[in-house]
Amino acid sequence: MIVVEGLQKRFKAVKAVDGVSFRAEDGCVTGLLGPNGAGKTTTLRMLYGLIAPDGGRVEVDGIDVGRRPLEAQARLGVLPDAQGLYPRLSAVEHVRYFGELHGLRGAELERRVDELITALGMQNIAKRKSAGFSQGERMKVALARAMVHRPQNILLDEPTNGLDVMSTRAMREQIRGLKAEGRCVLFSSHIMQEVSALCDVIVIIARGRVEISGSPDEIRAQAGTEDLEEAFVRLTGVEGAAEADASQEGKG
Amino acid sequence: MGFWRVVWVVFRKEMLDGVRDRRSLLSTLLFPLLGPLMVTFAFTTVADRQREAGSVELAVAGAENAPALIDFLESNQVEVVELEQTPEEIEAAVESGERDFVLEIPEDFGERFEAAKVASVHFTVDGTRDETRAGARKVERLIQAWSGQMGSLRLIARGVDPQLVNPVRFVQHEVASEQQLAAKVLDFLPMFVIMAAFIGGMQLAVDATAGERERRSLEPLLINPVPREAIVIGKWAGSVVFASGAVILTLAGSLAAVAYAPLEELGISLDLGPSIALGIAAATVPMGFLASGLQLLVATFARSFKEAQSYLSLLMLVPLVPSFVASLWELGDAPWMIPVPALGQQVLLDRVMGGESVSFGAFAIAGASSLLLGLLCVAITARLFRRESIIFGR
Repeated sequence: MIVVEGLQKRFKAVKAVDGVSFRAEDGCVTGLLGPNGAGKTTTLRMLYGLIAPDGGRVEVDGIDVGRRPLEAQARLGVLPDAQGLYPRLSAVEHVRYFGELHGLRGAELERRVDELITALGMQNIAKRKSAGFSQGERMKVALARAMVHRPQNILLDEPTNGLDVMSTRAMREQIRGLKAEGRCVLFSSHIMQEVSALCDVIVIIARGRVEISGSPDEIRAQAGTEDLEEAFVRLTGVEGAAEADASQEGKG
Repeated sequence: MGFWRVVWVVFRKEMLDGVRDRRSLLSTLLFPLLGPLMVTFAFTTVADRQREAGSVELAVAGAENAPALIDFLESNQVEVVELEQTPEEIEAAVESGERDFVLEIPEDFGERFEAAKVASVHFTVDGTRDETRAGARKVERLIQAWSGQMGSLRLIARGVDPQLVNPVRFVQHEVASEQQLAAKVLDFLPMFVIMAAFIGGMQLAVDATAGERERRSLEPLLINPVPREAIVIGKWAGSVVFASGAVILTLAGSLAAVAYAPLEELGISLDLGPSIALGIAAATVPMGFLASGLQLLVATFARSFKEAQSYLSLLMLVPLVPSFVASLWELGDAPWMIPVPALGQQVLLDRVMGGESVSFGAFAIAGASSLLLGLLCVAITARLFRRESIIFGR
């Protein structure tokens, strides 16, 4: 479970995140929805402890990320915006490396690596160097290494960005599977359909603030429209685009 | 999980990555060949020249005009070849390189010599040709010596002590030991070894910092629940292994080259036994600690792989300054120099290769200084890895 309270982050003159609060429950898929530059990536980075917030706090399974970052990170599996691989290492070696960094070793580690290779259908690329991997293959490796330690909480930053239809489907199945296992899944997206297809709770962010949050039905009701996409546009506001560009600088 | 377990995991991954990286392997393995090649080349060239100067072939026109002189030359390892050529032909032959140099003895030589007048011999030589210089000098020296002997004999025949015309005698004492002279020949070795320390680990250091960020793999790495210090130490250790490998290979190659070089022919006795080899290694291997640390630190600031490489190429010139200075001027040898990186190594190497005994303390101080400064660089790099602007490359 992830609890976010009043997160704030400023990059020079730009308020990238301005008082974001929400909860992501176990056994639940929570979607962080917002236009480009709304502050989603910055919020997630504060959640996994690579950016220190100017204000507010984050708790992962009751552990304060600011005070005990390593313990919190041990309970998080993160697919960040940056999904770079090492071109001279194979898929298995990537997963094994991250597994070892999470303290796994020996037979337990090998079992877990095999499990992920099978679950994500990576048998054909398991022993290949990652240099020539397709976007979809790279995503699978990045996902596998993020989940090698069976984290209770999974953070995915725009996980379907740049993926083709088949890979997007595979990713959705993974997310549903994690939810079924009772894990807490939080993912960000700027695509309405994706969020509405998967999420139990939607948190709509724009201009660094939470505009509205709740189940898809609640959001439809509050926006006064049956169409979720219409609701999204109304709530985030088209005029937000200019400000969104400004805060994009802070995203890097 | 234990701190050192993380260091080990990161180190092993960097080594695997480094060994598979052709570029870093090439620079680690190829550069060390350069030093030994130069040692071999320098020694064999010098030896060849000396061998040539040892016995000189001299073409002489008009040898019959001064049989005594010819006898003297032949008894001093000069192989005389008699010629029948006009002065013009001789000049053309030397100019074209057909002959190294030619001695002409005019017909009136005997007559003038008998009459105790100055008798000339003409020596045709091309001063622009380096390879004939030693031989020409030998011929000149021999003729001067013969002339001196003849002069002394004439004075004695007239009842004059020849010492009267030699008021000053120039006596030269060489104070440098033969090993020091030999070390002079090997002056460039420290430079090669220090460069090896910088070249060996460079690719890995760049790949582990600027490369990691350019590939966008730094952020996923740092999300793992491990201390940044452990990650940086693991990366540093990998780079140090490559740097030390290059240093040891350079040393081993150079020592092998020296062992096979024709040293006796050069009149050099260079004792590069195991103790001296160990001394050289003890003086230079710790250089890798600092080289790799500095490289990690500098490359962390670079925005891209290429930028990092150009910074590090410049950085490599800094430790070469003491070597350059040492090859041009006397560097001296003061206690404060030992802990100064690069300078200390230079001083230690000069001592070791000059056959002096070096105290354990001097090695320890120079090594500890490199290690501590390397660790300082590692600590600063680990702090930088906490900065948002470094992680996300803003």
